[in-house]
Amino acid sequence: MELGTFGAILRFAMELEEQAGRFYREAGQGELEGTFDGRAQSARKRLRRLERARREMVSEMLLESISDLDSDDYTVVLDAGAGQGELLRRARYLEATCARFYRDAAAKMPIREVVRLFERLARENEQRLTEHR
Amino acid sequence: MIKVLENYVGGRWVPSGADRFLDIDNPASGKVIARVPLSTAGEVSDAVAAAKEAFREWRETPPLVRARCMLRLKGSMEDRFEDLARTCTREHGKVLDEARGEIRRAIENVEVAVSVPSLMMGYNAEDIAAGIDEECVLQPVGVFCCVAPFNFPAMVPFWFLPYAVTCGNTYIVKPSEICPMSQNLLFELLDEADMPPGVVNLVNGDSGVVDALLAHPDVAGVSFVGSTPVAKHIYRTAAANGKRAQCQAGAKNCLVVMPDAVLDRTIPNLLTSAFGNTGQRCLSGALVLAVGDVYEPLAEQLVAAASRLKVGNGLDETVQVGPVVSQKALDRILGYIDRGLEEGAELILDGRGVQVEGHPDGYFCGPTILDQVSPEMTIAREEIFGPVLGIIRVADFDEALSVIEGIRYGNAASLFTSSGKWAREFKYRVRCGNIGINIGVAAPIATFPFAGMKDSFFGDLHGQGRDAIQFFTDRKVVITRWF
Repeated sequence: MELGTFGAILRFAMELEEQAGRFYREAGQGELEGTFDGRAQSARKRLRRLERARREMVSEMLLESISDLDSDDYTVVLDAGAGQGELLRRARYLEATCARFYRDAAAKMPIREVVRLFERLARENEQRLTEHR
Repeated sequence: MIKVLENYVGGRWVPSGADRFLDIDNPASGKVIARVPLSTAGEVSDAVAAAKEAFREWRETPPLVRARCMLRLKGSMEDRFEDLARTCTREHGKVLDEARGEIRRAIENVEVAVSVPSLMMGYNAEDIAAGIDEECVLQPVGVFCCVAPFNFPAMVPFWFLPYAVTCGNTYIVKPSEICPMSQNLLFELLDEADMPPGVVNLVNGDSGVVDALLAHPDVAGVSFVGSTPVAKHIYRTAAANGKRAQCQAGAKNCLVVMPDAVLDRTIPNLLTSAFGNTGQRCLSGALVLAVGDVYEPLAEQLVAAASRLKVGNGLDETVQVGPVVSQKALDRILGYIDRGLEEGAELILDGRGVQVEGHPDGYFCGPTILDQVSPEMTIAREEIFGPVLGIIRVADFDEALSVIEGIRYGNAASLFTSSGKWAREFKYRVRCGNIGINIGVAAPIATFPFAGMKDSFFGDLHGQGRDAIQFFTDRKVVITRWF
């Protein structure tokens, strides 16, 4: 689906974080509890930040179609039912996809505060990728 | 079951005794979503009586305690933010992001009003003569009211109510009879803010309610936002009846684009100004004044960008331009487009007849651009209040200013340039209250007054910010000597 407006982009970002939170909560059972607990909490905080952005950063809206941003390019299908190795691989994929989405979306956002937020979120995702190596 | 709205008087929701009601439509579908009573003069009197009674106690409540009510209100508005935004979209038609922006601006006024304990402080001086001191205190006045427009049904009463109430006055809101639902929801939250009964009241209705408020001897002042003819009527009548008045009126705003404008950053600003809120804004850009050789690239890029905007139901987050508020508004806008063509303008982007899938009865008009407009044309002089933008070619900066000066309104004007010199000249010389430099919608935040000049404003003090504190208080000077 084309993400052509501020609202559509924020909604997709919130859906990504909700998915991430669900994945980390479910995958963080057993051996990966210590690894993923913090991630589930972090997803909740990130979701709140995005929701606050949608509420608070919208007062200077610029009406122009945002183009070349499609949610299909950032789809993550996350099933938490797998072995440890596979779960870590899926987590890496999730973090990489989120980082890529936030970087791409930041480049298109017309609102400076939201650009900064997206860049910060992308940096957090990228940091986690280095933890996985 | 269609909801019938009630009034809020003396701390209670009260079914109106009116025998006339209006249907409230969802502009995206044309379907009735609520009914609003057209309350009687007697119901206005009841609300004024409740507000007057409440004033006695409220005026003695410390400002800090009054401010805490606003803090509670802010919390409720944040908690119900999405509900408020969606209600706004359903009754007005604006897209969700615009509705969210509107709710945010309303909350900002509540946040500024929380500072009233400081903002309402007076001043003093010792020994104005030996042993004699003098002080000036600000005091609340009594019962105030506002008559709200349809285009920002949640926000506009909040340019006034939070300040009035935190300064110790009591208040009556008459929402727009076309879009009353947002304000009715806000009053559910005001009810939870736990102010004494009668401090805030809501009376639904039309001009009958307005006239009753203007005539009532216990109403100290009125705030109005709407058309110029009604603004003049309210201003004159309020003054004749000894009331304070601040009346924000119509507009015909110009967007001047200089040859040195950064075009790729200018175009989104022009789009937002002309087509945001579907052009139903007193700050909407109505005329682009293209200076010199910026005209050709500007017109081309403007049409290309505007034609990409998606028109549809405002609840769909992929949509950028919602419907206009009513069939009557749509007919009026289409009439102006026809008039423009009759008078010689050229239609370079035609938004008429736009079809939105699944919404055959919605009041849709897409972005429309008319070229070859001249200042004498009807579409260059009269407020259209829809997604219609005219392009006027001017030779130079001075000619642009001459066009602006010739317009009877003075609400807003914007200049797009890279030159500090032109920016300063523009700020200095243009007689409009809200000026944008590389800003398409020069909307003041809550700490600034929502300004306006000429036929766009009648009164001395504007809504929001320090002007609001001045409007809602009286100054008392006390000179003291002790023997």
